[in-house]
Amino acid sequence: MNFESGGEPLHGVLHVPSEPTSRALVLCHPFAEEKKCAHRTMVEAARAIAEAGIAVLRFDHRGCGDSPGSFDAYDLCGWREDISGALDCAARETTAEVGLLGLRLGATLAAQVAEELPDVACLALWEPIIDGERYIKQNLRRSVIKAMMTRHEGGEESEDAAAEAGAPAEGTVDFDGYSVPEAMREQMEQINLLAPPPSYAGPALVLNISAKDAIAEPMQQLADAYERGVAVAVRAEPVWQRIGVIDAEPIISATVDWLRRQ
Amino acid sequence: MSDQQLKQQIKEMIVERLFLDADPNAIADDENLMENYEIDSVNLFEIVVGLEEQFEISFEDEDFSVDLFATIDSLAEYVERKRS
Repeated sequence: MNFESGGEPLHGVLHVPSEPTSRALVLCHPFAEEKKCAHRTMVEAARAIAEAGIAVLRFDHRGCGDSPGSFDAYDLCGWREDISGALDCAARETTAEVGLLGLRLGATLAAQVAEELPDVACLALWEPIIDGERYIKQNLRRSVIKAMMTRHEGGEESEDAAAEAGAPAEGTVDFDGYSVPEAMREQMEQINLLAPPPSYAGPALVLNISAKDAIAEPMQQLADAYERGVAVAVRAEPVWQRIGVIDAEPIISATVDWLRRQ
Repeated sequence: MSDQQLKQQIKEMIVERLFLDADPNAIADDENLMENYEIDSVNLFEIVVGLEEQFEISFEDEDFSVDLFATIDSLAEYVERKRS
């Protein structure tokens, strides 16, 4: 199915439960290479949530996946509009109350949309980007490490990996081959989900996905900042970093369990 | 913290963060991590984040070289240098 946002037809897939439902969820994907890696997990999550009786709309933002446009032609404002458009679409198609589930930057954008649309039924945040500057640093570091490994596998010296990875046009940064223009980078740098503290009053899940069973401090802080927030730690591999089949079952189960309790 | 304690903590961190099916005590200080544990760029990123978080150090871009990540010995030496 397609729906319109900002004059662009966005590609979406609606997962409909076998029984009529009064609940729906919009899935907000991560971006750049992380979207590619997490695709299978997002599809598996959509199917599992639909099986649990909740309709799910997953979609591609402008410039991403099967939606038209080039990644570097858009920004976070446009992508937040896309989420609003997806919420409208899901409400139209299902006549249900609609919540948001997002992963990484998708989770952050979902949280920001929920600040402006208090009617969002619930908010599930998988490893949200809480600190935008840290997110950019991590992406740049990944590029440096990849360049180092590529040179190593090619039998070259690795000392120039940083220089090789960091040669984008002035003002832009490169996220593993995705050009992030200056305006988008500045918007990312300004991300801080803890300040000001969130005002969304609906149920909010902050899912911390890592090798540890303990919840990382910023994730706990974010959950605590929500009026009805809860933090849950899930021990699983970073599904947004690995291409291939990864066991996302612990992530999906924890989410479905939480959704069932709402 | 002694040199051996540092190395043990690094081994445990690597096994945990990379979901390795390995006993940290069985990792030799001088064995080649990249070859023996199929360390790829994603794993290296996890190791970097793990070292930064656990030992409160910060990698600079110019620090990155394959030799640094070759063994537990080289990682421990780097951590000690950054902390000194």
